[in-house]
Amino acid sequence: MTNLKNTLIISLIIFSFILTPVICAAAENELRIADNTGDWGHPSPYLAYGRGPGYLRMHFIFDTLVWKDETSDLIPLLAEDWEYIPEEEVYIFNLVNNAKWHDGEPVTANDVAFTIAYMKEHPYGWVMLDSVDRAEAVDEHTVKIYMSGPYAPFMEDIGGTMPILPEHIWKDVVNPMDYVETGAFIGCGPFKYVDFSKEHGTYKYEAFDEYYLGKPNVDQLIYVKTGDTQMALQLGEADLASIKPEMAETFTEEGFVVIAGPHYWNKKLMINHNKEPLDSVVFRQALAYAIDQDEFVDKSLRGHGKPASHGLISSESQWANPDVLDYPYNPDKAKEMITSLGYELEDGVFTKNGKALKLEVLVSMIGTGGQSMPDRDGEILKNQLEKVGIQIELISLETKIVDQKVINWDFDLAISGHGGIGGDPKILYEKVIQVPGTKASPNTARYNKSEELNSLLDDLVHEMDPVKRQEAVFKAQNVYARELPAISLYYPTWYYAYNPDAGVEWFYTIGGVSKGIPIPQNKIALMRSNAQGEGGIEQTAMQTTDNAQDTPMMPFLGVFAILAAFFIKRSGRKP
Amino acid sequence: MKWNRKVKMVTVYLFTILFLVFLNFLLPRLLPGDAILAMYSGSEILVTDELYNELIKLHGLDRPLHEQFITYLTQLAHGDLGYSYMYHASTTDLILDALPWTILLICTSFILSAVVGIILGVESAWRRGGKIDRWLLTSMLLIDGIPSLVIGILFLTVFSLYFEWFPTAGAITPYSNAQGIAHISDVLMHLVLPLATLTLSQIPGDYLLIRNSMVLTIREPFILTARAKGLKDRKIRYCHAARNAILPFFTRIGVRIAFVITGVLFIETIFAYPGLGLLTYKAISNQDLPLIQAILTVSVLIVLLTNILVDIFYKKIDPRIEYAF
Repeated sequence: MTNLKNTLIISLIIFSFILTPVICAAAENELRIADNTGDWGHPSPYLAYGRGPGYLRMHFIFDTLVWKDETSDLIPLLAEDWEYIPEEEVYIFNLVNNAKWHDGEPVTANDVAFTIAYMKEHPYGWVMLDSVDRAEAVDEHTVKIYMSGPYAPFMEDIGGTMPILPEHIWKDVVNPMDYVETGAFIGCGPFKYVDFSKEHGTYKYEAFDEYYLGKPNVDQLIYVKTGDTQMALQLGEADLASIKPEMAETFTEEGFVVIAGPHYWNKKLMINHNKEPLDSVVFRQALAYAIDQDEFVDKSLRGHGKPASHGLISSESQWANPDVLDYPYNPDKAKEMITSLGYELEDGVFTKNGKALKLEVLVSMIGTGGQSMPDRDGEILKNQLEKVGIQIELISLETKIVDQKVINWDFDLAISGHGGIGGDPKILYEKVIQVPGTKASPNTARYNKSEELNSLLDDLVHEMDPVKRQEAVFKAQNVYARELPAISLYYPTWYYAYNPDAGVEWFYTIGGVSKGIPIPQNKIALMRSNAQGEGGIEQTAMQTTDNAQDTPMMPFLGVFAILAAFFIKRSGRKP
Repeated sequence: MKWNRKVKMVTVYLFTILFLVFLNFLLPRLLPGDAILAMYSGSEILVTDELYNELIKLHGLDRPLHEQFITYLTQLAHGDLGYSYMYHASTTDLILDALPWTILLICTSFILSAVVGIILGVESAWRRGGKIDRWLLTSMLLIDGIPSLVIGILFLTVFSLYFEWFPTAGAITPYSNAQGIAHISDVLMHLVLPLATLTLSQIPGDYLLIRNSMVLTIREPFILTARAKGLKDRKIRYCHAARNAILPFFTRIGVRIAFVITGVLFIETIFAYPGLGLLTYKAISNQDLPLIQAILTVSVLIVLLTNILVDIFYKKIDPRIEYAF
């Protein structure tokens, strides 16, 4: 009896380990990037989430016509050259002739024409194709894109953002939002899709040997999810990840290369310019004088950032007007301007007709660079505005509710923020007026009280002459700074650290990747041979088989078997 | 009489489930704001009217509320908990992916903390007023006061960052492709820290409950009888006293399971452990209505199921209570 029990116990334990296939090992060059969100959607155009990291996870698989690197010019990608014919309002793109889809089919001009037609029928969030009339393939490698009117941001907005889809796969896809078959991940980019695990928030890509610009210098690219990105870097679990500003020095000392982000994201104060006294330009200017941007940078960012330009476009953008109107901190001038509007200062508070000047400020958790953090700026703003005699009631609400209140004009002031201010100046147009045919966005001022600004914004979008466009952009920033439909407060500095031994030199893209994503994960970095040597990446022996992302059935069985074994043993003792 | 009680109980549970399903449906919809616009709040893309309409249609939000509720019930009856806005995936699949990890974590921790809590509680009560009892009581009260979040971060810093004994995050090493024993040991290594954190945060509760109940039990006359019979001390302690003292512990399992599900939320977030807690956290932070709803439904069902099981097994644990089920 005892022997039988013992045999049963041993068999149970062995059973849990018995399904042990042989581990096959193979050496691969791999590079790991960590973040603490993990899942940013399937890496396919319609399935990746509409935020920067989602686009980036897709951009390794899908190529666009043109691209950006750390210089300010657009570089060729699928299109080796291009021209715009103003008389016909048409763009002509000549495609490279050796590009292939990951399933071996050639990339042709038909694919480009198809993508435009498909995205016009099935709207793709990142690209607005209202300005495009149609596209036609002239021959196998030449495509003509007919515009419905002049559209200056075309090259960056569409050429450098729209992922080209393979016609032979997508022509049969009726609902792209539901399409998660293998075909959804066939692109012509430098990396092939291998795996995505929603459950673990991991992505795996493999270098595409037949990529038309040459094989990438990394065999495998992996995204991992981690609780703390800094720990992941320090423990060698990742080669690139974001770090906290305070840790920049430590990481540099530990041999990492730390890159400080460009200032393409701004925290801004939304203003209800339909409501008294905020409808007065003078009052809004007084607010700008009353706000000490340096204090925000010092207290809120602990010095890791810089004061924002009042013209919305980032002061580091190639489109920034160096002489944009500024509002240096001057509380006395602010008081003077408020007095000029008929207010009287009584016991440190402005009053008009016996009523105190009181404003509400809405604050919420705010998302920056894909992460939410509590907003402490409300307190700083309250102190600053109360110093000049404006009573402030700080109201902290859930983001969704703040957004809704702003959209419904049910607010005085609200703290908000957005990126994209380093890329094409079209952002001015998008953040000042509500683009026709789109839903109201909580960080768009929806300001159309200045004829001058409206006309400049129109030029900025439709002026095809680069010099004239630059002029319009400069002027628009000045008018924006004068009218102040919203007040930009500051730009945070984001830090990333990478392991130089991994052989890839990461960089921040000028103007941000694609439409302005301020994350240093441009695929071009993986296409360059580097100073580290031939292999580029340090050889790490990794065990390789597919489908390793299992549910924990085996260990669960193990734990269960051990517990069952103990139970059997115990029950054997009973009389 | 007995049959009537059973029918009554089943009816009560059914009504509870129905009521909670109705609440699950209604509450997320009462939140102010547009769910579709909220999805894109903070995103870099412009929501065009076409895109908005397509999404509204895709998620069935264009239909009246009662129709949405009927669809929700029909789908629920088919085991379909809805379609997630953010993940573009069936919420049932998402939950089924996450649930095994949480079950692994919760069940193992439940068993471990129960074993440790019961043993410590029994021993402590047996030596009431003694040095060991006082020491245990103080340290347990101390641990009880430390939030699991702090314990987790402490473990992470000491055992992952300083000693480098355990991985910092996740449930497996991504793409290590380890299989068989290597895979099991990989999973167990990832399990250690979240498990230790969850277990440590639960032990004091178990310990205090058992200790208190035990202190009352050892005063009972049957203990004196057992002693008079000349039974061994250990036998009296575990087979007579603990057997009776353990009853409130089982009563509390049903209530505690709900707390464990919420407690696991923080732990899974710190350790980026891909279970139900982390999924809940992401669903809430992304305002993913169908997913929040589905998780709530599953959590409610788990809690109710545990309660039913406790009700059924109560009779086995304490044969005196014949009317339990």
